[in-house]
Amino acid sequence: MSVAAATTVIGKRRATRVASNPDRRRRVRTAFLFLTPSLIGVVLFLVIPVIFVMVLSLTRWNLLTPIKWVGFSNYANIFRFDGFGHSLLVTAYYVVLNIPFQTVLALGLALLLNNKRTGSAFIRIICVLPFLATPVAMGVVWNWFFSPTGIINQILAHVGITGPAWLSDQATAMPVIAFASIWQYAGYNMLFFLAGLQAIPLSLYEAASIDGGTKIQQFRRVTLPLLRPALLFVLVTTVIGSFQVFDTVYVMTAGGPGNATKVANLNIYNTAFAGFRIGEASAMSVVLFLIILVITVAQFRYFNKRTTYEIG
Amino acid sequence: MASIASVKPASASVSRASTTTSPSSLGKGIRLAVFYLLLLVILLVFITPYLFSAFAAFKTLPDILAQSPARPPMHPTLENFKTIFTQYDFGRYLLNTLLVTIILTTGQVLFSMLGAFAFARMDFPGREGLFWMYLATLMVPNVVTLVPLYVMFAHSGLLNTYWAIFLPYVLGVPASVFLMRQYFMTIPKEVMEAARLDGCSESRILWRIVVPISRPIIITATLLAVVFGWNNFLWPLIVTNSNSLQVLSVATANFNSNFGVQWNLILAASLVALIPMVILFAIFQKHIVRSISLTGINR
Amino acid sequence: MNVQRPWRFSLRPARTLVRVAVAVIALTLLSGCAGWGFGGSGSGSANGPVTLVYSLWDPHEQVGYQQSIDVFEKMHPDIKVDIENVPYGSYQQKITAEFITGGAPDLFWVNTPWLGSFVKNGMLTNIAPLIKASHINMGQYYPQLVALHSVGSKIYGLPKDWDTIALYYNKAYFAKLHLAVPANLSWNANGTGSFVTFLKAATTDKSGHNALSPQFNPNQIATYALGVNNDPQGGWGNYVAEAGGKIIPFPYAPLASLTTPAVNAGMSFLTDTLTNAHVIVPGALSGPNANGNNLEQMFAQGQVAMWEEGDWNTVSVKSSVTFPVGVTTLPIGPEGRISVFNGLIDGINSHTRYPKQAWELEQWLGSAQSQAILGAGGYVWPAIKSLDPLFLKYWAKNGIDMSAFLTEAHGKVVNFPVSPGIGDALTEVGNDLGPAWLGTESASQALKTAQTDANYILRTS
Repeated sequence: MSVAAATTVIGKRRATRVASNPDRRRRVRTAFLFLTPSLIGVVLFLVIPVIFVMVLSLTRWNLLTPIKWVGFSNYANIFRFDGFGHSLLVTAYYVVLNIPFQTVLALGLALLLNNKRTGSAFIRIICVLPFLATPVAMGVVWNWFFSPTGIINQILAHVGITGPAWLSDQATAMPVIAFASIWQYAGYNMLFFLAGLQAIPLSLYEAASIDGGTKIQQFRRVTLPLLRPALLFVLVTTVIGSFQVFDTVYVMTAGGPGNATKVANLNIYNTAFAGFRIGEASAMSVVLFLIILVITVAQFRYFNKRTTYEIG
Repeated sequence: MASIASVKPASASVSRASTTTSPSSLGKGIRLAVFYLLLLVILLVFITPYLFSAFAAFKTLPDILAQSPARPPMHPTLENFKTIFTQYDFGRYLLNTLLVTIILTTGQVLFSMLGAFAFARMDFPGREGLFWMYLATLMVPNVVTLVPLYVMFAHSGLLNTYWAIFLPYVLGVPASVFLMRQYFMTIPKEVMEAARLDGCSESRILWRIVVPISRPIIITATLLAVVFGWNNFLWPLIVTNSNSLQVLSVATANFNSNFGVQWNLILAASLVALIPMVILFAIFQKHIVRSISLTGINR
Repeated sequence: MNVQRPWRFSLRPARTLVRVAVAVIALTLLSGCAGWGFGGSGSGSANGPVTLVYSLWDPHEQVGYQQSIDVFEKMHPDIKVDIENVPYGSYQQKITAEFITGGAPDLFWVNTPWLGSFVKNGMLTNIAPLIKASHINMGQYYPQLVALHSVGSKIYGLPKDWDTIALYYNKAYFAKLHLAVPANLSWNANGTGSFVTFLKAATTDKSGHNALSPQFNPNQIATYALGVNNDPQGGWGNYVAEAGGKIIPFPYAPLASLTTPAVNAGMSFLTDTLTNAHVIVPGALSGPNANGNNLEQMFAQGQVAMWEEGDWNTVSVKSSVTFPVGVTTLPIGPEGRISVFNGLIDGINSHTRYPKQAWELEQWLGSAQSQAILGAGGYVWPAIKSLDPLFLKYWAKNGIDMSAFLTEAHGKVVNFPVSPGIGDALTEVGNDLGPAWLGTESASQALKTAQTDANYILRTS
């Protein structure tokens, strides 16, 4: 088949393919060659560990003495003795603090900055700056900001309020941690909402305003439904990320005061790498994984039920 | 009639905001003022942690404790940086982080790109099934693989080496593969089919055709990998023990726990970790902001 | 979506990427070579000079150890010793993790809370055959220390120091009260005894009345008589021992014995009796979970008259107080005067690459010459009994009479409990006892919870 003939059948897959077997075999080999590195990575560092952790959760082991098989008893013990139930509650509290505020803030920033006014472009860039910060390094800065004599309390003192010892007070420690996360990721998530906003055809807004809708009604009936894919993406990723919060907590409160900020990931870390209880830590990991999985699936199903359709 | 407003042409405009003209210029003025006030607040909130810690890093400890954090240093001093680089080995930690990040990024972007291209535009048996496996592993949170990976590395004798820090990521990660695959799928098949008919090998198609027009997404993937590698904390923390192998994130955390309230040193250490990413971002910010919209998350 | 730019041939990206890929591979190989190997982290060839790595945590004692090491290096020109300071808070984890990754030090301090775990994990070398071959006289050490570090016929280190618990007191304060500090106070489980009476006499409120006076205002206390913390060694451990109780029934026991009547008696004497008498620092004031973190500062500021703690705090006390300090012995309980007794050893890494040189260092640190340096410099009580006067003399010259600690060491002592996981178990116990110290739970209830948690950890360690 000549090149000319081939190009006249644009879009029809079969017609453009020269069905010569050695050529196809070579291409399939190349395809697998391309795929091999990431495939090795995925299997070795993702698939196998997931299976392995489930196996490890049935053991009692500290890496130095022989493995003991204890069946499912770890799953009960992590709740009775390792305070994992409390850790899950603390983590859930963090998620509840973090997700709504962060999502609303990200959406708000996107709505606010989705224009061509002078300064908007610059501020859009500023919003992404926190995303680059090493959470540990920024956590140190927050320690300084929120220390009893730090700038936050200094500002509050100017208006006559005595600020609490933010990170030593059980009531305020977790909100501060949530604040650090919101600060870090709101701008990054704003980008996804911006992309979503910019993909909404202007014609829809025209139609809505012709129908006599106010701005708020337009927002509810046009913007929000069409932002669902972006919203789903942001929610799923931030929820998965929130359940695994570690860096900020490690450097700001180390789980304190008391156990007020001892999130699940920190508990797993302490159990596995300070206590060297591999079996219990593995059981904790599996439980956390299942919880995240269930929530993610629930999110997908909730959003799929209300899918919007392509507007031509 | 009054509601049909000045519609800006779609292609030239960044803004798709609904545009009804406001009833009075006073109202418009107020709205503008509120808008810029909000922008100012955003600027302050997002900049001050960087700015104030930068101020403090150049002050002496008594100055930090005595002055307001908002005050720039009167007599900026490099003492803190000198101390952490000479006495506390931060030069080494910086180099470690650089080494690990470069290796991790290069490998991750390169191999993810190969995989993405294979999934997007190459035909081979099992393509759908394998892609579903990649997608499924996207859902696996990092915390699940911590303990088993640690055990696997322990038994391979790879703990406490540079290998351990970047190995789980250097062969490509599903997120990167997914990101680039979505982009590659927007490249018209005809382009590649024509090249195939011309006798081009797949490899040539990739390097000579796809890559040049995929610069935005490759840069995005690279930047995401760099930020991830630079900021990664928990995995390097558990997998390295020797002080000489520490990366900046781990070193900063250790520094913090050993030096309590020596803010001058601690904040200088944080700055060493924070500034390189800001500089990188300043150079590449156009690409980041632009290319998120090219990922087609609305699909 | 439309392609924004026409495709064009460009060799540049390909070439650059190839160059980058080559660089990546080169860097990777290089970094692999720079990786660290197995065995001890010391270095050196078989015949050349050997460098041993020696880990410890106390920066004060490190000065003394450096002096001792300097002498050792002169005597052994083919062995160099690098001292590495590892912070106490993460010491056990760090050494264990280094052992797992293959880079543990050749010699390292071992404290009793994790001695059992290190033994069970196979991290320590059994030096019993080496002791026999070198004809070391184990009788020169305190026998309790030798027993503490032995398991059957195996022994895991040469004893090198010891600690007891006594009461530091503010001489100026007692002089002002014209109150002599008696040496032999006693207490009974029902709260009677000369000890409680004395403590009442030593507690003053802001208007100057002591706790024996009817005008005493317990809400306005200026100085508490005694600061005791929620700690099995420096705090309640001694009272439990004096009541005849044991934390674990025997060494290396896989369970705790915290709910016996004796333990209950000793614990509630502190948490109920002395608290209700308002003579000890309340749990909430002494620190998070009543751990006593604030007590040293309170002592230095004159808010506590007597501070119960171990002798390792002497340097710190000396540098923080402005008044003369005395030391008196613990009070006598139902079973007598008993102090918790503890001592460290230098463990030899069971996988050290230089067992011969490590044993040389171990022998040195356990020898009279080395311990004399540490004792005479006032760094720590030497484990060799005959060298104790050196330490005593140093502190006498520096204004603190440490003989109370020595009296107790020569009297009845009970070893700090040893068992795999006991360190973690006692941390949990401390958490569980917190409410008892804060007055929100009875001692017996708190001990029940502590027992359950401790049993789980001991059983699974």
